[in-house]
Amino acid sequence: MTSGLEGMLSGTGMEVEVVPVEGELNVGPQHPGSGHMRILVKLNGDIIEDVDLDVGYVHRSVEKLSENRNYIHLIPLVERPAILDSIHMNLGYVMAVEKILGVDVPPRAQYLRSFAAEVNRIASHLYGMGILAVFMGHSTGFMWGFGDREVWVEILQALTGARVTNSYIIPGGVRRDLSPAIKEMTEKGITYMRRKLEDWQKIFINNPNIKARMQGVGVMKREDAIRWGAVGPNLRASGVYYDVRKMEPYAAYDKLDFEVPVYKEGDAYARTLVRIEEIEQSMKMLEQILKEIPEGNILSDRFFRQIPPVRLKKWWEGQRRIVMPGYYASFRPPKGEAVSRVEAGRGELLYYVVSDGSSKPYRLRMITPSYRLIYVFKELAKGCRYADLVTVYGSLDYFPPEADR
Amino acid sequence: MWLSSIAYYFFYPSFFIPVIFPGLIFILIALLFTIWAERKFAAKVQMRFGPFYASKRLGGFLQLVADMIKFAFSEIIVPREVNKTLFILGPILITGFSLVPISVIPISSIPQTGSILSPYYGVFHDTYSSLSLFSAVLTPYSLALAIALTSVVSVLVILTAWVTNNRFAMISGIREGYLSVSYDALITISIIGIALEFHSLDISKIVTAGIPGIIANPLAAIVFLIGMLMGSSRFPFDITEADSELVTGPYTEYSGLLFVMTMAGSYILNFAYSLIFADVFLGGWTPLTGFPGALLTVVKAMIVLLLSVFMRSVYGRYRIDQALRGSWKYVFPAALASVILGLVVGPWIR
Repeated sequence: MTSGLEGMLSGTGMEVEVVPVEGELNVGPQHPGSGHMRILVKLNGDIIEDVDLDVGYVHRSVEKLSENRNYIHLIPLVERPAILDSIHMNLGYVMAVEKILGVDVPPRAQYLRSFAAEVNRIASHLYGMGILAVFMGHSTGFMWGFGDREVWVEILQALTGARVTNSYIIPGGVRRDLSPAIKEMTEKGITYMRRKLEDWQKIFINNPNIKARMQGVGVMKREDAIRWGAVGPNLRASGVYYDVRKMEPYAAYDKLDFEVPVYKEGDAYARTLVRIEEIEQSMKMLEQILKEIPEGNILSDRFFRQIPPVRLKKWWEGQRRIVMPGYYASFRPPKGEAVSRVEAGRGELLYYVVSDGSSKPYRLRMITPSYRLIYVFKELAKGCRYADLVTVYGSLDYFPPEADR
Repeated sequence: MWLSSIAYYFFYPSFFIPVIFPGLIFILIALLFTIWAERKFAAKVQMRFGPFYASKRLGGFLQLVADMIKFAFSEIIVPREVNKTLFILGPILITGFSLVPISVIPISSIPQTGSILSPYYGVFHDTYSSLSLFSAVLTPYSLALAIALTSVVSVLVILTAWVTNNRFAMISGIREGYLSVSYDALITISIIGIALEFHSLDISKIVTAGIPGIIANPLAAIVFLIGMLMGSSRFPFDITEADSELVTGPYTEYSGLLFVMTMAGSYILNFAYSLIFADVFLGGWTPLTGFPGALLTVVKAMIVLLLSVFMRSVYGRYRIDQALRGSWKYVFPAALASVILGLVVGPWIR
């Protein structure tokens, strides 16, 4: 804009001296558009020159704490960084532990894991889109995001007993079984969401205002996306076909038929479209799971046998709930190490667990998708207008607690 | 006897319009209603209840009163490094100057007999339009004066932003500066189009011309509406107060009653614009006269006001460069076209 003005006026006798106005802006940690962090923005006029993300305001020290807790007691802890995506946090950790234990998970439990994960993915995407909408001042999108998320949170509550911090997945299987009531609830939810997505298209996706705000904003080229280590929907919006569910199928994903939406544009709008399509794909998967879920146990026999008959009678028969005896919490896996990868709502989530044979992990390392987004966010915001900072932030679906762990 | 003399002074337009109707007191009630309606409409769209718990039977109508009481009793914090006088004056001036335009806008005409306003027939007789007008200040240039008075507010917003000495406020002050230049141009040019078309800068002459401005010059109406949305920071041009970027823009450091004033200021300004719109484009008080005519004008203005606050539930917020580009590249030519339209259609009117 500056150079355009200079070029237009040069030689007309009306030359103006454009003085760059530089300054720093502390966005956050107490700011409506910052989340739990401080964004140090260096501005030149309205253009962002550099962004420095001061993260760590919600650091929970999950990795260090995990060296002092039993494997089972860690499940609620690893969920906490991303409570809106807790099934994936839980699933990745449990998969790593299972690799050390060498447990086989029964197929029904695998399907249930996929089921919970996809429900959680929809809820997480809706949350992200709501935040994106309110960042752009679109309050209807915000309310709809959170309102529609409620449907899926309720399904998770019916299945797991908790709205967000589910702690549903345990080594060897899952805690609760699917009931006909939940099946019906999910079918209703899918019908509702399909109808609602059309409304979303009208008021949010095809809204000229929203399009103008998002198209061509925060463009991430394919090479950049790979070099900066973007993951998940943000990577796929830049034209990279990569999804852990396809590359290294876990849970029941090798048996499910789904597509991975990929867009070439790499801008904020493409990232939103990827999320919308992922919601549709997730609903497709949920329908398949409801149809194809095999009968059988939901916990590996090795652990199931340890449940005393009294407990089986009280919890398992009728209620189909797994309530393990207390000593299960202090099991000691053999020495070893394991890596697990899952496709969480925001992208690839990696766990690395080292066991020294005691009841506590020797080391736990978690690399969350938002953690990788810190650098992506920093790079993408450069050169944007100040008003685009929040658009980039929202479209990346960056979640500070998840990055801070 | 004394009662009638009190009534005479009570309904005296120069007092009644700025202070009671549609001035200060009515505006307070109208604000309650508008903000309540805005929140209720938005809630309807957004699958929620909106204000509810404060006065359940009235559908949460008193929520804003409760908020107001809360704000009235909360401490007014003045930052240490600001100019105290200007800091406190800022919101007061914004609210005050938003009210001023209302006093030059004629709300209705006064019939010679049979109305509660009839005693003022002789006093408020406008020789220019040969009508008696229910207006606080009688002037043949009411349209130009009203527009001029509304444009003062943006200067005061910039003053407030500057005196706050906060970086977010500074940025929003710059944004307001950019925006005010463009929306004032839009509003002024569309008004010029209308004035040329009706051969007058007197609102009463435009109203009594018999044909509403929106039919005579729809282009000017659209341009004015867009300018109005920009000028009173309504969505999708809520750019100066963009909360996710600039906290609350110029009003970031304000608290308590001063904050209420900053919030009320933009609504009052919007109401003033709506009154002009109702008079110029929607036919004002015709075919009524007297007090019912004033009611009709205000009801029309309220509908325009509600329409402009309803935008919140449909649109997000444009970026400053998009708003400026849009207003200069697309709306400004439309404004010029409305002037040409006014010139072309003008000879046929009257």
